[in-house]
Amino acid sequence: MALASQIGSLFRNLLRKRQVEQQLDEEVRSYVQILADEKMAEGMTAAEARRAAQAEIGGIDQVKQSVRDRRAGSGIESLWQDVRFGTRQLLRSPGFTVTALLTLALSIGANTAIFSIVNVLMLKSLPYPHPERMGTIYTRFTGRGASDERHNINGEQWELLRDNVPALISAVSGGTPGVNLEAGSAVRYVADGRVSAHYFDVLGIQPMLGRTFTEDEDRPHGPPAVILGNGLWRTLFSSDAAILGKPIRLKGEPFTVIGVLPPDAITPANADLYTALQPSRNGEGGGTNFDAFTRLRDSATWQEADAEINRAWTTREHRYEKSDDPNATVSYHSVPLQGGQAAELRPQALALMLAAGFILLIACANLAGLTLVRMMRRSAEVATRMALGASRWQIQRQFWIENLLLALAGGAAGIGMGFLALRGLLILLPKHFLPVAHVPLDGRVLTFALAVSLFTSILFGMLPALGARKVDLRSSITSRSVVGTGHRRLRQVLIAGEVALTVVLLAAAGLIVRTLVHLETLPPGFNPNGVITAKASLDDARYHDQKTFLQLLDESTAAMRKIPGVRNAAVGLSLPYERVLNDGVTIHGGPDDGHQVGTDVVYVTPWYFETLEIPLAAGRSFLPSDGPNDAPVAVINSTFARKFFPGVNPVGLRLDKGVQIVGVAADVPISSGLNPIAPLMSEETMYIPAAQVDPRLLALVHTWFQPSWIVRSASPVEGLTEQMQKALTSVAPGLPFSGFYSMRDVQATTLSKQRVETALLSTMALLALLLSAVGIFALVSSIVSQKTREIGIRIALGSSIRRAMFHVGSPGLMASLLGMLLGLALAAGVLRVMRSVLYGVDIYDAPSLIAILAVLVLVTLGATVLPTMRVGRIEPAKTLREE
Amino acid sequence: MDSKQTNLLQGTLDLLILKALAAMELHGLGISRRVEQITHGTFVVKPGSLFPALHRMEEAGWLSSFWGESENNRRAKYYRLTKAGKKQLETEKEEWARVALAMANALKAT
Repeated sequence: MALASQIGSLFRNLLRKRQVEQQLDEEVRSYVQILADEKMAEGMTAAEARRAAQAEIGGIDQVKQSVRDRRAGSGIESLWQDVRFGTRQLLRSPGFTVTALLTLALSIGANTAIFSIVNVLMLKSLPYPHPERMGTIYTRFTGRGASDERHNINGEQWELLRDNVPALISAVSGGTPGVNLEAGSAVRYVADGRVSAHYFDVLGIQPMLGRTFTEDEDRPHGPPAVILGNGLWRTLFSSDAAILGKPIRLKGEPFTVIGVLPPDAITPANADLYTALQPSRNGEGGGTNFDAFTRLRDSATWQEADAEINRAWTTREHRYEKSDDPNATVSYHSVPLQGGQAAELRPQALALMLAAGFILLIACANLAGLTLVRMMRRSAEVATRMALGASRWQIQRQFWIENLLLALAGGAAGIGMGFLALRGLLILLPKHFLPVAHVPLDGRVLTFALAVSLFTSILFGMLPALGARKVDLRSSITSRSVVGTGHRRLRQVLIAGEVALTVVLLAAAGLIVRTLVHLETLPPGFNPNGVITAKASLDDARYHDQKTFLQLLDESTAAMRKIPGVRNAAVGLSLPYERVLNDGVTIHGGPDDGHQVGTDVVYVTPWYFETLEIPLAAGRSFLPSDGPNDAPVAVINSTFARKFFPGVNPVGLRLDKGVQIVGVAADVPISSGLNPIAPLMSEETMYIPAAQVDPRLLALVHTWFQPSWIVRSASPVEGLTEQMQKALTSVAPGLPFSGFYSMRDVQATTLSKQRVETALLSTMALLALLLSAVGIFALVSSIVSQKTREIGIRIALGSSIRRAMFHVGSPGLMASLLGMLLGLALAAGVLRVMRSVLYGVDIYDAPSLIAILAVLVLVTLGATVLPTMRVGRIEPAKTLREE
Repeated sequence: MDSKQTNLLQGTLDLLILKALAAMELHGLGISRRVEQITHGTFVVKPGSLFPALHRMEEAGWLSSFWGESENNRRAKYYRLTKAGKKQLETEKEEWARVALAMANALKAT
């Protein structure tokens, strides 16, 4: 009852404030009047009685206030008052408020954007039912060359996993190549997810229409079936449900449509449509070409699953894992799919998170400095309020509320900024870069942004609030400037700290920029200008036959060579900068005599080297006379020659199967499939004539790789791409190109990850630089305004303006210099973690460090000199009079 | 009068107000006079403590108020005990008796 009554009062007090106030006023006044009546009855005059009554009550307003203080909800009320007062105070100094809000918006925005990516990659569950029961398999090597990584598996491992591991539902996939799909009169180049039976069971995806692959359809030479992705079904088949059970022409053959996926289905293969992988122990399954996914069955545990995998896989006769080191111990274990997929991006995401954290610290240092100055400017106000009876707690509370208001407003602006930044980021990111469809700003991100805002307000509010405790009443009221050197020291330390963090960020950005520059300016080894390329899918029943295949290459390139303005045309299985097919080859002669070694293999048509203008160091290139029935020949690159035939001219030597080396070509950078130590590098490569590719391998090679047509023209040719497509179609009706790319595009695709990293880190470093500049600027300009009088005296006493400028500017300069030294020391330690993402540049990179210091010195000078310009305008007589 | 005035003990004021209102409905000054009267001038309740206490007790549900006419036909806010207030008076009386007895015993002890 008492509680109900109090809650009622609380609402009345808060909601019907005017009425409550009016009644209180009336009540107290009537008290005074009745008291005065009494006194008049005792014989006083009306005026005397009134005065006496008022004197006795001791101030109507104080009585009313004491009632208000006791009222239910008085806490909320005074909080509201403080908030209103705080808002007014913030609006009164718009310069400070805008600077603080911008700083907060930028730093919290950067943090929000980066965190939402980290959230979606590492914290958020995969978009599948029971993601915790989904896994992938890691191979652990102990002993020499110890490692623990996700490995692709071969056909034998797949069969054992499928048949002998009952604890798991397992599936494999074999990449997402481009294939030709006939829809109506047009043929489209679409992405085909090659997946085994149960793939959708592992992901927990139910088809919207129809069913998924049966085990029969997944067997070699099983009935060809296709599952359509929802997007493709809607656009190409106009959402026609009757398509189920009907054949469509895919890869030049009829495939029966057996299912359509739901609209929100996301798969790791990320394809337009799906066909059965039909894995076996031969062909593709003879090597480790399958990517495994597993789902734990309801009754099983991961321990049981791992025990079954190890039992199944260690009894194999030929364990390729041990081919390098027969004594190595090899074991297998399940890793949650989420962890396994995010592991690749984790270092980058964490590095960016760290950089974002640095930005936040820098912002806090700036804000602490700004708030400190503001605090000092207000010390007269504080002293007045304290003299009027405000407790230190009330003053402190007021400051904290102002900080909190700022932080929350800044946080809201930051979330907006983060949202925009994220949009921009997702546009910048290459397609399929993130293993998720979208990056939402969900509850966790918003909570994070709120927590960051509160954390920020505590961090930047702490110093000034501590400062407020030291306000001395007497000195504050009498003198208007109270900022002591102690506070300036503190601000200098803050500036030094933020400059130090800026140095680290700039140095990191510098290194990553230099890495990108290094990768982009690798000697191409060919002439990338004036070349246009296009891929076509030959994973098509019509082109598996060697004769048709060769005729296609021959006639289409010949037709392209006839386009006016075109100088040359050729076809290659892969291009410079691209990922390359690799294979084993036996070396005869040299130190590796008789050994089988791994090498990249590229089939090319005649004129490939001429079209790309890859120079030959020795021997000859391929000729039309290197036909299917002629002596087998190969051209190796310089790395191959150096590595396996050091000090010998390899031209004329033979590789296995009687293949004779006829030439040595210059190295070109490629994306390694053999031993990737950098995103772009030169690796041992063997070129063979397209005409001499083993006809039995053509179909397999073309399920993995789509060859590129390459056309070189002397100058830009009008409508070249249309004419290229026409030339191809004239020979192969209905064979579409995937799109047309310059060599620059091909390079950019390979380096997309580096480009994103560079763009992000550079943006953050520039943000840090901007914030530091603002910090130094604010420090110096506040010194200028505090010292106006002192400077006036100095100038009046004969100091030159330049010396006065130096006098006020030097604290900023000193702080920044100290920060640079500190930053260099810090960078020496911190940047070591970046070693794994740097190529062609050392972590102690003198040129980039010198450039960074030069930039910082310039920025510092700018931020110091700009506010000191005001010194020149100080008129000694005027400032002295004003004080 | 001031010399005779004793500082009100914590909690005493509530009890005195409840007691003053137990017999009749009173307005603010009336309560103050009544307390003075029943304590024989030992306690004088000043408006600065009277009003906050009245409002607090009203919010607690012990008192209810209404607007009425004073003896001199002045509009004044009158207070009376609610049911909860009567119960509270009993509770506080018992409490006070306990405290008073304990204090007396404590001071008698050697």
